[in-house]
Amino acid sequence: MAITDTPRFVRADGPDKVTGSGRYVADLTLTGMLTAKLRYAGIAHARIIKIDVSAAKAIPGVFSVLTADDVPDLRYSPVVPDRHLFAKDTVRFEGEVIAAVAAINAEVAQQAADAVVFEYEELPIVADLEAALAPGAPLVHEDWESYDVTGDTPRDRNVATFSSITKGTKEGVDAALAAADIVVKQRYVADGSHAAPIEPRGVVAQWEGNKVTIWTSTQVPFDARNGVCETLQMPSNRVRIIVPHLGGGFGGKCGFHFEAHIAALAKASKRPVKLVFSREEEFLAPDRRRESMIIDLETGLNADGTIAARRGWVAVENGAYTADSAFFPQLAAMHVAGPYKIPFVHIDSSLVYTNHQPSGSVRAPTAPQGCWACETHTDELAKAVGMDSVAFRKLNAIDTGDEGVVGQVYGEIGLQQCLDTATEMAGYGQDLPDDEAIGVALGWWPSFPGASGAFVRLDADGAGQIVTGAQECGTGAVMTLRQLAADELGMDPEDFEIIYQDTGVAPYDTGATGSQTLLNNGRAVVAASEQIAEQLKDHAANMLEAAAGDIVLANGTAHVAGSPDKSVSIAELAEVAAGGQMLIGKGSPVPPEYPEIPGMNCVGDQGVAAWAAPQFSCHAVRVRLDRDTGVARVLAIACAHDSGTIINEIAAHGQVEGGVLMGIGQALTEGTVYGEDGRQQNPALLEYKLQTFADAPPISTAFIQIATAEAGPRGAKGLAEAPNVPTAAAISNALAKIVGQPIRQLPMTAERVWEATLSIADDSGETA
Amino acid sequence: MTTFSIAQSLDQALQALADGARPVAGGTDLVVGSRQGKAPLPDTVIAIDRLDELAGISLSDDQLRIGAMVTHAQLMVDPIIAEHFSAIADAAALVGSPSTRNVGTLGGNVMNGSPAMDTGAPLIVLGATAELQTTSGNRQVTMEELWVSPGKTSANADELCVALNMPARPANSGSAYVRLEYRRAMEIAVVGAAASVTLDDGGMVTDARVALTAVAATILAVDLGDALAGKPIDEASLAAVAKIASETATPISDLRATDRYRRHTVGVMARRAVEAAGRRAGGETIAIPVNRTLGIGASQ
Repeated sequence: MAITDTPRFVRADGPDKVTGSGRYVADLTLTGMLTAKLRYAGIAHARIIKIDVSAAKAIPGVFSVLTADDVPDLRYSPVVPDRHLFAKDTVRFEGEVIAAVAAINAEVAQQAADAVVFEYEELPIVADLEAALAPGAPLVHEDWESYDVTGDTPRDRNVATFSSITKGTKEGVDAALAAADIVVKQRYVADGSHAAPIEPRGVVAQWEGNKVTIWTSTQVPFDARNGVCETLQMPSNRVRIIVPHLGGGFGGKCGFHFEAHIAALAKASKRPVKLVFSREEEFLAPDRRRESMIIDLETGLNADGTIAARRGWVAVENGAYTADSAFFPQLAAMHVAGPYKIPFVHIDSSLVYTNHQPSGSVRAPTAPQGCWACETHTDELAKAVGMDSVAFRKLNAIDTGDEGVVGQVYGEIGLQQCLDTATEMAGYGQDLPDDEAIGVALGWWPSFPGASGAFVRLDADGAGQIVTGAQECGTGAVMTLRQLAADELGMDPEDFEIIYQDTGVAPYDTGATGSQTLLNNGRAVVAASEQIAEQLKDHAANMLEAAAGDIVLANGTAHVAGSPDKSVSIAELAEVAAGGQMLIGKGSPVPPEYPEIPGMNCVGDQGVAAWAAPQFSCHAVRVRLDRDTGVARVLAIACAHDSGTIINEIAAHGQVEGGVLMGIGQALTEGTVYGEDGRQQNPALLEYKLQTFADAPPISTAFIQIATAEAGPRGAKGLAEAPNVPTAAAISNALAKIVGQPIRQLPMTAERVWEATLSIADDSGETA
Repeated sequence: MTTFSIAQSLDQALQALADGARPVAGGTDLVVGSRQGKAPLPDTVIAIDRLDELAGISLSDDQLRIGAMVTHAQLMVDPIIAEHFSAIADAAALVGSPSTRNVGTLGGNVMNGSPAMDTGAPLIVLGATAELQTTSGNRQVTMEELWVSPGKTSANADELCVALNMPARPANSGSAYVRLEYRRAMEIAVVGAAASVTLDDGGMVTDARVALTAVAATILAVDLGDALAGKPIDEASLAAVAKIASETATPISDLRATDRYRRHTVGVMARRAVEAAGRRAGGETIAIPVNRTLGIGASQ
């Protein structure tokens, strides 16, 4: 559908962002405010001998200098609590905070941060995933056995968490592989990468009495609040998190980061304190970047092209600390197994400590890499059995009623339709020049049902107010809440304003994470609006002398069904209600249930094997390769997505287009480069190459709309992460067709592609 | 503390330089470099961006003069540059982003002396000289004499680059600049090459020059020997150009590429630059910049 055919959608935050009137954390100034600077370790692994802040404190204009000695001595993090606010005894990555300074201005603060004396003894750097797993490898956490870990979480030395997924039995997989007609075994290696939001993060903290208000650029205000409460040992009602406009997150601003450091500085300084990151800090310091991975896949095929069995081994880089990454191994295992009908599956997957920046949920964690490996491998399988890669997928991909890789039986799903639609849109099968090809990949991603709350109220003049705990990170999901409320109440979306991103005001929501905002908070807003609708109908029934059940809310009025003339405006009803029982709705509906899989025998289950309301996708991408240089250019991409019912088509198109562009970057140009010293070599936007709008290809999108049970409002599933999943994979398959073999390293940089073309030339006896 | 003043005349600017000030025009290198901690801001900065003497592009019978203050945005659309000195326009159009091109100047780019600068190789193949002026006079310096090492020029501290001059183009001449880039905006040359070609009426090369970007400590002029002279631009002569360019290059390995990859791709860029320059010399119009018109990395 063309944009012009879709309903008009005005984002409430759009004009502010476009005109520059919107205010971000960096724009805030409070009376008496100080500037914070953090002092980082600057070394990947070391034992701390001494941290001396006396010289820093003595500098005029310095109000406070804090270290681990100044905050409660406790470890935090979900599932595997393995880190402190400030480095204690050991530093485990270069961006670890050893001290924080608040001073009269940025120059003095930096001078003081530099004046902190840090003496240390270097420790061996754990950088390589396989080396980290080797017996006798140096430990990133010498005390790993003493950590207070939650749940069934197998661990061992540098393995922070371990999960397996199994269908059938391990022995069954071995036997099926031994009996297969064809076996393909390959290794795929993905580098780490970054979320790289436009806005480097900022935090402002101000105390009044024993309460602190923190303005912060977070995607998850309640997680940020809970992190402050946990680390500074405060009750939740004394910590208020407010998020001004957020300049993007892409997962990089999920989790709890520097809010407690700045709150502690503000308390010690008895002044408001502000931290604003440089771009370099945004690259180096947060415990959020996309994990590097090593993926070994071994797949057996029957002569008819059906998949007989798959065995896999995955190492997911955790980095120095466990942020929200405990579930990554299991999620990675699901993605390398893929949305296929495979009778025997066994994947072992480990989360591996290194002395690098911690990994964390960046837009569909583990999925672009896992899908890239799985789908590159799938094309290799098709080639090995002599089938067209799309026909191979038609044969093996799951459809409605099929059983997936952990034995989950899927309800009505649109994966096969996605495959048909995307390949048709891309013109798959057409004749192309020999430097072009169309690559195809399938993707999938779970929805994450959860608790979520919202209030909706209509004030005396009939103007609507939505008060939601949901966080807008740029996806437009929160903006779409107006549409849901308006539809329930027969009003216009622009009749509603939204109060959001304030934990002191709104009920809980998980935040802009896991593509869950519309899925969960949408249901909350609908539930709250339904309560108001009932009240409006009761009032209208009284005034119009009709039964409440016969009242219809539409076009800003309440009328009697079948008698549009017998009506009263909602504004009039609101005025009446304002004098008595006010129009206040609250929504916190019971979340949809996660499916149960009888007999599932996954070790280290982290709850991401059985998928609620899974989303499916197919991307078909046309690529041209400059063979002489290895530079690839994406000429066009066709995307088909089953994300259930689409509530707002314009916003949905925007999600797919943004996800595709991010996916192209991961495919071709974005990768973190580490030096021998365990430090990032390219923490800057010139050397860490994001895609630009000049690089964006034409993107066509189709939605396979299936109103899904046990999902979001009107059968909607999530969408924000899904478009990021199969893009790199599809590009990989296009490149493999042109080059003659896959590039089994991600990103598939120009130089790596060129090296692959050389090795093909070598193999065929030609000279390079 | 930095003192900043705005020159009202060229004389005033030259006197300030003689007194130890450093000039600033677009500030795209000076300010960014300072913020990144590469070099602190000088104690005294004199703004030269309002000096008419440094503005404008003028073509006389025998010479083109480009004022040092001319921006990349001007160079990429100026009809004289685009038609007769196309390589400069090709290069200017690839620099950074619209905002960089709007404030970044040719004089600033030249005096910054980066071996990755895009306009450098075009200036060499077009035979440009930098006009350096002081309170007591001025001199013309060839680009090869000017650039000494990364970020370092042979200009004295009191000398201001006021213009880039180059000879008018002979008939049947064309020039082009291509570069290897990983994305289409906000990019810096991985490697690049400029070429200038003059043909006789029979399509044989009478003069050809090639210079290379980002494969040595300075922009590198290539000695083509007899690879092109008296020959047509065909597969054999282009292959010879690529080979010579690769052999001339002394690239380093860094985050953007290994030396091996640079050595190979600079040859590819050189042959593409010569080919595009040859087509222009033959009267064909190839829209600015060649990189975009001819597709990925200037392939056809």
